[in-house]
Amino acid sequence: MKYWLAAWLWLIGASASAQRDLPLRDVQVQWLRGAPKVSFSAKDLADERVRKELQSALRKRLVVTVTAHPRGSGRTIVRRQFGCDVTHDLWEDGYLVRIASQTERLSSLEKALDRCLVVQGLFVGEPRRYESYKGKEIFFSIEAEFNPISEKQCRELIRPTGSDDPIGPITVSIVRRRICQAERTVRFRGKDARVPK
Amino acid sequence: MSRIERKILFAIGLTVFLTLGGSIFFAQGALREVYRVGVNERFGQELVHGVEARRGQLVALRESSEQVADAIGWAVEAEVSEKDSRRALEALLVELLDRYPDVKSVRVVEGDRLYAAASREPEPNGDALRATIRSRDATARGKKLRVEVEVVVPEMYFQRLQEAGEVADVYSRLQRESASVSDVYVWVFGVLVFLVIVVAFLIGAIASRRVTRRVTVLAEATRRVGAGDLTVSLPTGATDEVTELTQAFNDMVRDLRDSRTRIEYLQKIGAWQDFARRLAHEIKNPLTPIQLAAQEMDETYTGEDEGYREKLEHARAIIEEEVATLRRLVGEFSAFAKLPRADLSPADLCELIQSIQDSVPAILEDIGVDGPAPVEVRVSCATRPMHVRMDPMMLRRGFDNILRNAIQAVYRAKPTGGGQVLLRAYSVENSAFIEVLDNGPGIARENWDRVFDPYYTTKVEGTGLGLAIVKKVVLEHGGEVSLDDAPEGGARFRIRLPLIGSS
Repeated sequence: MKYWLAAWLWLIGASASAQRDLPLRDVQVQWLRGAPKVSFSAKDLADERVRKELQSALRKRLVVTVTAHPRGSGRTIVRRQFGCDVTHDLWEDGYLVRIASQTERLSSLEKALDRCLVVQGLFVGEPRRYESYKGKEIFFSIEAEFNPISEKQCRELIRPTGSDDPIGPITVSIVRRRICQAERTVRFRGKDARVPK
Repeated sequence: MSRIERKILFAIGLTVFLTLGGSIFFAQGALREVYRVGVNERFGQELVHGVEARRGQLVALRESSEQVADAIGWAVEAEVSEKDSRRALEALLVELLDRYPDVKSVRVVEGDRLYAAASREPEPNGDALRATIRSRDATARGKKLRVEVEVVVPEMYFQRLQEAGEVADVYSRLQRESASVSDVYVWVFGVLVFLVIVVAFLIGAIASRRVTRRVTVLAEATRRVGAGDLTVSLPTGATDEVTELTQAFNDMVRDLRDSRTRIEYLQKIGAWQDFARRLAHEIKNPLTPIQLAAQEMDETYTGEDEGYREKLEHARAIIEEEVATLRRLVGEFSAFAKLPRADLSPADLCELIQSIQDSVPAILEDIGVDGPAPVEVRVSCATRPMHVRMDPMMLRRGFDNILRNAIQAVYRAKPTGGGQVLLRAYSVENSAFIEVLDNGPGIARENWDRVFDPYYTTKVEGTGLGLAIVKKVVLEHGGEVSLDDAPEGGARFRIRLPLIGSS
């Protein structure tokens, strides 16, 4: 029992340490009726290789995940994620950017990147999630990923053979995690921000 | 954990580790090879080529649609330059639609005004289409026209490109991660093997503990026996070699216990025999002088005092009677003291039983006061023959003592008749049993352990040697004698003797 407890404490400590060690970047936070609106840019995710892939006419995915944490802790208060599917349209010039069920056509890659990676006033969670942190300091961490294969798609592409052996399903689930992870990831965090009372 | 347990677990561990560790080693190589066959560079390149081909197809379609738009623009410009007839232009547009099946509609616009247009419905084959408008400027007869060509292409071309791209993407990832994927397989296999090893150890520990615990108990019991405790008896339940060992141990302890009891009893009897010999010697010597002195006193009295003479005669009679009693006791003590060790040889027990039957009338005559005692005596031998190693004289003497005791007891209780005594012999497995039962008053339970002690008797004239002799004889025959209640109400003596051939 004590070993499990020690392992759990170690995991919490490791998680907190990982969050604390993220590079500090400019993340604007505005509070509107108890809910935070964050603004930031993760455009540096699109390096030369990423840009080249985005021009390939194949659908590529950009995913941005914003999480709020109490200061000095790895515990997550709230998590918000949104994704962009960007396709260079060969039929017509421009880029098709799909966010949720909305698709819009943008004339250049820069505009597509601005649309997906430059975030302005994104609400992160409802006010009630921050009630117990009023007057306390929190911080937001951002993770921007290029082309992670979605869980559903990954499950469809890499599936066990259906035999009775016990190794197959376990191994496939581990392989899925490795194969379907993002090709490039950028992580950073903002300064500590106090939750208004 | 005992040493034997550690050794058993070590053997299990060694076997499991060698087998499964070897299998991991070979599995690692096999998995890598299998993966290398399944995920290889050439196949990945073919997938990339497939994606490029689909992309090239779309680019070609795009160029084709641009060329169609150019051709229609030029045709419109030429037609307007030549005829400037709206009707003729519309006829041309219909003709152009027939010529270019991928064109859905054509609109010719002058400024904001529609100059001419033609369109058609696409073939209803169910395929989704993606449409776009290619615009071309045309100038004729001073008019600035814009030709809008709506071109359609099946959506599936785009979908197939995306699907091919996804497959190629996943495949290239698999290719990049090929080493680590096969490692994952080996790692998962290793973890499962480790779990199997743990389970094997647990099962081994439980199984070996069941054995070693019994061995430990056996070792502890052996130490107790070594310290002199022969009351040890271990439980036996399972049917395995350890149980057989435990059973053999119990048998050995029982034999040791019986032997020790036998030896102790025989030693005690030996001591009593020595005592009886000394007693007989010490008592026997003065008896004759006492008797002679009494006779002389009676015979040499010459006085006239009749009263004194009568006292002398009375005293002489008492002395002679008591001396006779003492002589009988001395005789019995002496006989007990001189009781030899049994000289064993094979013989039929039933024949001995038969000879006892022949002596029954004499015994009844001896015991009865006025004629033979009115006791019904039955003698039987159920199994014929019953070969035992015996000293017939000694054994007969023992049986005679028990039979005589039984008849006396029954006769005392039922002097007018009704008494019954049964002597029967039978065999069970490797033992011969001789039972003497009566319907007399029996023997109180608290005396059962003492009746075989020398000089213990409940009879007025008894010496207490009869049953002691019986036990000595039986023990020297390797048997045992016991006493309990007979079903008829009296006592039951049971003698067990080993049959020849039994261990």
